[in-house]
Amino acid sequence: MKKDPPRQEHEITQLLAAWREGNQAALDELYPLVYDELHRLARRYMSRERKGHTLQTTALINEAYVRLVDQRNVQWANRSHFFAISAQIMRRILIDHARRHAYAKRGGGARQVSLDETATVIHEDLAEFLRLDEALKSLAELDPRRSQVVELKYFGGLNNDEIAGVLKISKNTVIRDWNMARAWLHSQLAGSASN
Amino acid sequence: MKPERWQQISRIFNRAILLDEAARSAYVKEKCGADSDLQAEIEKLIESHQQAEGDDFIGGLAVEDVAEHFTEGKEQLALHNGQQFGNYLILDHLGTGGMGEVYLAKDSRLDRTVALKILSSDVVADKRRMQRFRQEARVASSLNQPNILTIFEFGEVDALTFIAAEFVDGETLRDYIRAKRLKLGEILDISIQMLAALDAAHEASIVHRDMKPENVMIRRRDHVVKVLDFGLAKVTEKRGNTEAVTAEEGMSEFTTAPGLIMGTVNYMSPEQTLAKRVDARSDIWSSGIIIYEMVAGTTPFRGSTSAHTIVQILEKQAPSLAQAGVPRELQRIVDKAIAKDPDERYQTAKDMLIDLRNLKSRLALDAEIERTSPAVTVEYARPAPTAEPVVTETSKKNYGLIVALIAIVASLAAVFAVNAWRSTRNQSAVTPSTPVASTPARTLTYWITVQKFKDGKAYQQPFDISGEINFEADYQIRLSIRSRQAGYLYILNEGPRNAAARPEYVVVFPSSTANNGSEFISANQLVQIPDQSWLKFDKEQGVEKLWLVFGENPLPELESIKAFANRQTRGLITDAQQNKAIDTFLAAHPAEKVRNERGDTLTTLTSSEKVLVYPIKLEHH
Repeated sequence: MKKDPPRQEHEITQLLAAWREGNQAALDELYPLVYDELHRLARRYMSRERKGHTLQTTALINEAYVRLVDQRNVQWANRSHFFAISAQIMRRILIDHARRHAYAKRGGGARQVSLDETATVIHEDLAEFLRLDEALKSLAELDPRRSQVVELKYFGGLNNDEIAGVLKISKNTVIRDWNMARAWLHSQLAGSASN
Repeated sequence: MKPERWQQISRIFNRAILLDEAARSAYVKEKCGADSDLQAEIEKLIESHQQAEGDDFIGGLAVEDVAEHFTEGKEQLALHNGQQFGNYLILDHLGTGGMGEVYLAKDSRLDRTVALKILSSDVVADKRRMQRFRQEARVASSLNQPNILTIFEFGEVDALTFIAAEFVDGETLRDYIRAKRLKLGEILDISIQMLAALDAAHEASIVHRDMKPENVMIRRRDHVVKVLDFGLAKVTEKRGNTEAVTAEEGMSEFTTAPGLIMGTVNYMSPEQTLAKRVDARSDIWSSGIIIYEMVAGTTPFRGSTSAHTIVQILEKQAPSLAQAGVPRELQRIVDKAIAKDPDERYQTAKDMLIDLRNLKSRLALDAEIERTSPAVTVEYARPAPTAEPVVTETSKKNYGLIVALIAIVASLAAVFAVNAWRSTRNQSAVTPSTPVASTPARTLTYWITVQKFKDGKAYQQPFDISGEINFEADYQIRLSIRSRQAGYLYILNEGPRNAAARPEYVVVFPSSTANNGSEFISANQLVQIPDQSWLKFDKEQGVEKLWLVFGENPLPELESIKAFANRQTRGLITDAQQNKAIDTFLAAHPAEKVRNERGDTLTTLTSSEKVLVYPIKLEHH
């Protein structure tokens, strides 16, 4: 079924180009537009989710890209930028969501508090997910590039080549950054969980 | 940490992890020299690295890690206002229930407002159950009982499964009870309509299984009651058909799936809480509980947890409604409906309905008597703080006398009413009005909308025709069909053929959502083929036939065409044997058996057979 073409597709293309040329204000305008689209798609993809069926973030972002960006006058660099910003937005969508659903209690596994209609469940994995986000923020202060590698890979679903393209570093550097960042995040989480 | 230190750590770390175990510690030691803090730091990171590798830490994708939680919660809506969803324009989000989100939407084809329910993914996950639910819901809807919500369409758009149903502008019985105290008359009106819906459904062997005030709607303008979600409960029930499990096992049903907020157990029958097979009598229990709640303001069995409630449902007697000040007859009806043993309950919704109706007419009689004795005002509903008149001290002495009088008149009236009802029922059962009514007649009406095209563009206004017509090559058509009964519709296109040529059929999809070559349609549902665009003719001239096959049940002879119902191949049936089998099937149902009444713009086809088969001939040049 043919979708209505998003009205803002031209606008988004322009904003992407402006942002690439160093206009940070363009990012502020871009953000909510992409957020809405990704959020809608993520919701739809997840409701489609079945056992044994892998959810592909890149497919999701790609769909958003195709829908949002005017394909006729777009440069390859715009695509990397789109993916970079989308990774960031996916992170925010997921964290926002996790925050709403993981009740602050930390440490325990999933516990069913009551058997009644008001049953509340604490999602330990969501709490862990939020701790990861916190650790990633600390990493960004320490080493912005390595935290970006994690963001692009884990939240954006980009592969090493794509990350290398977006960050303009070699693929080997991507791999090294990833190893270091992951080990550091793991040690941070292990530390906080035992507290 | 200083950036230089961080860079130093990462340099050594990245080298070290490339080395094997033995070389690694020597390398780290050598690089760190006397700086034991640095060494400890790096060794900790290396250990973390190994653990991270081992348990694939953040090795997947974030979206997968939170996917299962993502679909929960009300704030994540699948659709937004103003969005076009298939043929529907989303107008508003009405609410979110256990089964999914409900929207107010406009069907752009028919310009009517509908309630659109998007079923949540866990509801649609089980294909087999979904299929059964579709059938049951459609059958319930097709009963055309005014108290059963009408379903217009089942479909899937963008991988979301939806139900389009009649939109009821009103509130649920839940909100109704919460907002105000119900008067006895209202309680009876609601109960009677509720039972009438159940009676019709049970007659068609459909059990609701999830009767509760949330599933009963009261229309604002006329207070007509609509029962929703027939058959839906079955889809979500985890193991409803397991026989004879223990109470403990039964309860474990409610403790599965962490994160799942389960529905209420308050209206469940004892057999349901035990996860035993349920039948129509379980619905009777649930409606008894609903009536109890309307009277008393609360359900009879309420524990602090579901488990406690279940124990009460199984073991405790419901607190008497005597204090609620309702007529003893209503207490009796409720008590009978909520007997623990299904065999001691009303056995059919009809029996309960009769008792409720009789009570209502008895009370109408009471009201008549009341009017003629102004000294007494009788209030049957709860004697709670209310502006309504209640029985006063001074009038109480007259009350007993009048009640006795009412009782005599009423019991006479009840006997009369039951006999009257019985006699009408027997009459209609024994002497059907016409012989045709005893066999299931199939009635289809159809019309063809023609759009002319010129140079690939629509040219002039489309127009409707009945019957058959000679077409020009640049005509494109749309076929509209409406059936008076519910049933299974198959449409086959037979291409032009010469006497010697082999038959060749094409499966025509009855709707954009039908993927298997047949579609269950509800009574009076409008089917447009195709629903989005137009049917085109190829260059080949001659007579084409659009075969309409409409049966009460799925037709085993045509089930095999489903294998060819492929949109990629445009439904072309490529197997010669299959084409021949269709030929034989169609020939066995001669068109002469179908009565054909052609009006100006529509044709009505009637058959007294269980299956109506009719070719619409389309001649084109």
